[in-house]
Amino acid sequence: MTDNPSPSEPLSYAGALLETMRGALASNPHSIIMGQGVDDFKGTFGTTLGLADEFGAERVMDMPLAEEGMTGIALGATLNGLYPITTHIRADFAFLATNQIINLIAKYKYMFGGLFEVPMLIRAVVGRSWGQGAQHSQSPQSQFAHVPGLTVIMPADSQSILDMYPYIVENYRGPVISIEHRLLYDLEFNVERGDPNRLENPLTSRLIREGSDVTIVATSIMVLEARRAAEHLAKTASIECEIIDLNSPSHPDADLILSSVRKTGRLVVADTSWRPYGVAAEICRMVCENDPSALQAPAVSLGMAPAPCPTAKSLEDAYYPNLTDLTDGIARLVVGREQHGVPLADETSMRDVYKSFKGPF
Amino acid sequence: MSGDEDYKRMFHQALRIRLVEERIIDLYPSDRIQSPVHLSIGQEGAAVGVCNGLRDTDLLFGSYRGHAYYLAKGGDLKSFFAELFGRATGMAGGKAGSMHLAAPDVGFQGCSAVVASSIPHAVGAALAARRLGKDQRIVAVFGDGATEEGVFHESLNFAALHDLPVVFVCENNGYAVHAALSARQAYSISKLPAVYGIPYTRIEEGADFVAVDKEFTTAVADTTGPKFIEIMTYRSKEHVGVADDFHAGYRTDVEFRDWQAKDPLVQDTALVEEYQPAIEGEISEAVNFAETSPLPAPEDLLADVI
Repeated sequence: MTDNPSPSEPLSYAGALLETMRGALASNPHSIIMGQGVDDFKGTFGTTLGLADEFGAERVMDMPLAEEGMTGIALGATLNGLYPITTHIRADFAFLATNQIINLIAKYKYMFGGLFEVPMLIRAVVGRSWGQGAQHSQSPQSQFAHVPGLTVIMPADSQSILDMYPYIVENYRGPVISIEHRLLYDLEFNVERGDPNRLENPLTSRLIREGSDVTIVATSIMVLEARRAAEHLAKTASIECEIIDLNSPSHPDADLILSSVRKTGRLVVADTSWRPYGVAAEICRMVCENDPSALQAPAVSLGMAPAPCPTAKSLEDAYYPNLTDLTDGIARLVVGREQHGVPLADETSMRDVYKSFKGPF
Repeated sequence: MSGDEDYKRMFHQALRIRLVEERIIDLYPSDRIQSPVHLSIGQEGAAVGVCNGLRDTDLLFGSYRGHAYYLAKGGDLKSFFAELFGRATGMAGGKAGSMHLAAPDVGFQGCSAVVASSIPHAVGAALAARRLGKDQRIVAVFGDGATEEGVFHESLNFAALHDLPVVFVCENNGYAVHAALSARQAYSISKLPAVYGIPYTRIEEGADFVAVDKEFTTAVADTTGPKFIEIMTYRSKEHVGVADDFHAGYRTDVEFRDWQAKDPLVQDTALVEEYQPAIEGEISEAVNFAETSPLPAPEDLLADVI
């Protein structure tokens, strides 16, 4: 939060994940972490590193290659008193667990008339760049947020992780799917520790930046892109962007989004996945159903190209929306014409971040 | 003598389950039960025998063919019929119907209509039981067709890998929907547990609840690791619904008559005569309770989603 004067300190996204994973094990003796490689020398990209040594192999369990089995085991474990955290080192692998997630976990409370609760956390990591390709790059927020009974979150920075994960593990009685982004793992963000209970409901949307000209609703790494676009446009064209981190695709703060669109009259949705039937479509539905006259211009949306993800760098660069696309889309919307005359952002600024990411993971 | 008492008690339970389901058959044409039903008629002995030695604190996970286990585990009969009738007093307030029965107060932890999907839940519950030091037996009940699903194998592997105290109970009625197992399975179910190093017991006479109870109890006496028990049984009605389907051509009524010859609920007519009136009275009371219970309130539609 840019306007908050309280002292802050830098913390990487992966550091926040490790801190909250350790916190989950330390604060609740019934919590366990299950996933492929959670106890190995890489420790889920550093986010479970050392925890098996610290808390024991029975609480930080490597799992066989059996996503449905693992997720069903997690459901049975929570029904009998444990708090399971499962991990998928690529979100694509969570599709193997969709029978348990969609047919069982999402319905276990409702289908039995409230006889059971199934608190648990499922972590799924989205991959991007360095040739991740068609099956290591998908971002399944719309698939899961579509299903009643699931709470889907997408932390966009370290603060969001600190605000949400301890709350989920300690207070939340339902199943949560967290879609993390691998490219954010090594980035540092300023965090404020303060009162952990300062947010009434951390599992909803967050106002990231105030502005008067356009509302950007963004998810995950697109929040970071939106911040960069907003800084560029403020500096070069005095365009003031209001940024809302959607944060929870399943439980967005409709009031926050609608009041922002009413104020700015313009809407850009920037998501990490495909646009049809996704976050972009859903936010547009929200505005159309509630207050279509709030829009002074047609909405703009950005997402992955409507194709599976290619591996060649040249094609991949065209596949994802970049800072140039975002600043161009915003400038066209605010100025109101194609030839808007606003200098586009130097896209290498973001590429530098992606370049620092070296594979294979 | 206690052996006779055990027989009578279990006979009563099995007969009660059969009469409940026969009442469902009677009621079905009236359309007052608007829920697909997968009847257990013919398979009651397996449920009664397995549940006889289980305590309320022992957990059992079932499938869409769940009436027999719900009742054998101790689920309430009134809220059972109210659930089938879609009433607010049903065990799930009218949201479960026949396929998603549960009674956590007696350790019946839910039924899934997706074949094999509740098997890993028992494995996870066993993981929790060991971790939390709970003195519990954990049982997964599934049909022969479930062994074709990947998650069945995933569950056995994990249970064996971690030596979890879970009992896998496979009810083998010889058919997955309308296909004989020989047309679907290149393997023998009896040989699968050994692949994972899990002790296997085959109970040949599934209708004989006394034998099921005895052999099950022996098989699970050692509580240190997973056990696999296959119970040979027979489903007398169609896969889903209340009709006979011997005319459909995939099986004959010869095997049905062979099974009836071994079914105590058919053979022991004296005990049927003794118990039937009181059980019918209890069932009528439960049906009446269901019929006179209120429908769910409109606001229940969105209750308990999250």
